[in-house]
Amino acid sequence: MRTAPATTAPTTAPAALAVRDVTVRFAGLTALDAVSFTVEPGSVHAVIGPNGAGKSTCFNVLSGVYRATSGTVHLGDTELTGRAPHRIAALGVARTFQNLALPPHATVAESMLLGRHRLTRSGFVSTGLWLPSAAREARRHLQRVREIAEFIGLEKELDHPAGALPYGKQKLVELGRALCMEPQVLLLDEPVAGMTADERRRVAAVVAGVRDSLGISIVLVEHDMGVVMRLADAVTVLDFGRRIAGGTPAEVQNDPAVVRAYLGAQE
Amino acid sequence: MSDTVETATAAPGTPPEKTPAPAGALERLRRPRTYLWLVGSVLLLAFPFYLDRFWLQAGLFAMAAAIGAIGINLLTGATGQLSMGHAFFLAVGAYSYCVLAGESSTENGHALTGLGLPTWLAAILAVLLAGVAGGVFSPIAGRLRGAYLGIATLALIFIGQHVLFNAGSLTGGFNGRPVPPLSVFGFTFDDTEVLVAAVPFQSSEKLWYVALLALLLSGLFARGVLRGRPGRALNAIRDHRIAAGVMGVPVARYRAGVFVLSSMYAGLAGVLLALVFQRTVPEYFGMILSLEYLAMIVIGGLGSVAGAVVGAAFVSLMPQVLTHYSDSLPLVSAPGTGGLAPGEASRYLYGAAVVAVVLFLPGGLTRLKKPGEKK
Repeated sequence: MRTAPATTAPTTAPAALAVRDVTVRFAGLTALDAVSFTVEPGSVHAVIGPNGAGKSTCFNVLSGVYRATSGTVHLGDTELTGRAPHRIAALGVARTFQNLALPPHATVAESMLLGRHRLTRSGFVSTGLWLPSAAREARRHLQRVREIAEFIGLEKELDHPAGALPYGKQKLVELGRALCMEPQVLLLDEPVAGMTADERRRVAAVVAGVRDSLGISIVLVEHDMGVVMRLADAVTVLDFGRRIAGGTPAEVQNDPAVVRAYLGAQE
Repeated sequence: MSDTVETATAAPGTPPEKTPAPAGALERLRRPRTYLWLVGSVLLLAFPFYLDRFWLQAGLFAMAAAIGAIGINLLTGATGQLSMGHAFFLAVGAYSYCVLAGESSTENGHALTGLGLPTWLAAILAVLLAGVAGGVFSPIAGRLRGAYLGIATLALIFIGQHVLFNAGSLTGGFNGRPVPPLSVFGFTFDDTEVLVAAVPFQSSEKLWYVALLALLLSGLFARGVLRGRPGRALNAIRDHRIAAGVMGVPVARYRAGVFVLSSMYAGLAGVLLALVFQRTVPEYFGMILSLEYLAMIVIGGLGSVAGAVVGAAFVSLMPQVLTHYSDSLPLVSAPGTGGLAPGEASRYLYGAAVVAVVLFLPGGLTRLKKPGEKK
């Protein structure tokens, strides 16, 4: 396992991601009901639960796609709730999507360069006039993209169209693109879903490497319990929009409420 | 389109510090595309010496249309924001130029207002004014996506038509107003004959080089934007709007920005068209014109500069070519004898060609060979 090179972005002191009493209602449906948990800096925090438990809604609140009906999300001292997605991204929160969200024609390198958007400045005028400053910036950031691609094992695919890669590699590109944002917090929505055993191991190794060498906090939504138990430092279990259990993987595994939620109650 | 080809030629795994300059130049000499470009440029530069006025006019229309098409391709092709109001911004450019550069006069009972500014300054200001008009509409353009923006921009066409027909002192009303010829550093692009290499240069010949330069510069600008950071952000908004926001792209601001840029391209195209026409009439800047621009980028290829240029050439030259040679088409009869008139035949053929391109080349003319992509 290679270690990730030091980040070029200004590093801020690691901050905890605190979710407090977040409730989300769509018309009559309560998707999240007063959910609270804290992601410790530099840890892997898994959010698990049966289908429809509110995991994806939770992610959409964290990244600003949905607005919480009530409750707050704080990253350190900064409140995230009510901010637009691009402002939350600017604070160093990156995410991947459960269903791929990669451009259909662009190469892997270009897809990952999009992750550098918040760290770059060239606009319409400087790129349109082909100013040297824009070219310099692009070169510098392409260099960093290459390093990150090497870190996740995609350096050979950099010039391939991302859309033509096998599914597992496309998910890796998404992960790489999120890493390109030099985030403080990384939200991974089912990063190993639909992957082969080999690819799962690779992603798990990358995620562990990211935590260990970059000190990024990771929030993980995942159905694969093997991956969750191996990677997670803490687990929050949701069911029908409510937090029913939380703690270390071992504690959660033996929690009767969790067993009930997954297997059904005994009559 | 060619962007992916060029980046793909840099072999994966090459050390990033390596400067590809000498190898790239050699590489370029071996590619047939380089020679196509060379031959094309020489032809384009030589055309005014050999072609007659009809073909020069057709070429000028195509070049002006290409600039407008690049603009709408930035908005619709690269960002996925539909606009039906492109003709409105063309009109803003064309009439702004007339008002700013023209002298106050009376024509057909209309008192025409004109500021009499130097024409080159008026041309620049007209492009900026089109940008301002786009800026006024941009809060709406930033908030609406895709087809919804298309509906909203319809309003611009109706407002534009109403104003053009009724603001007589500015626009000259139904009959339009004359366009003052462009003049730069004392050289005037009008119909006074200038002999260049024994070829009499009139307005078409002179304007040809202005249009060529304008097209080259606007093409390069758009290509730089599309290949750079803004282009990636715009494409991300088109492909996955929510993901774009999460990646840190301020979606509304980019939508508004590209709307202004596209309006400025339309404004420049409007100025050029006015100079070629030598008279602006309001009827021209209607809904049909907006649809023609959309047709250009769909036919040429969405999202690229080359697509816009090829599509603009196809849409504006095809009817001219067909009309010019319609006498020699089979099954046509002389106009007025009851059969299929040459003009009608050319319109049918044009329609068929458009349908054929859309059916068989869904990626547009510039993406002839498509890798197995899913739509």
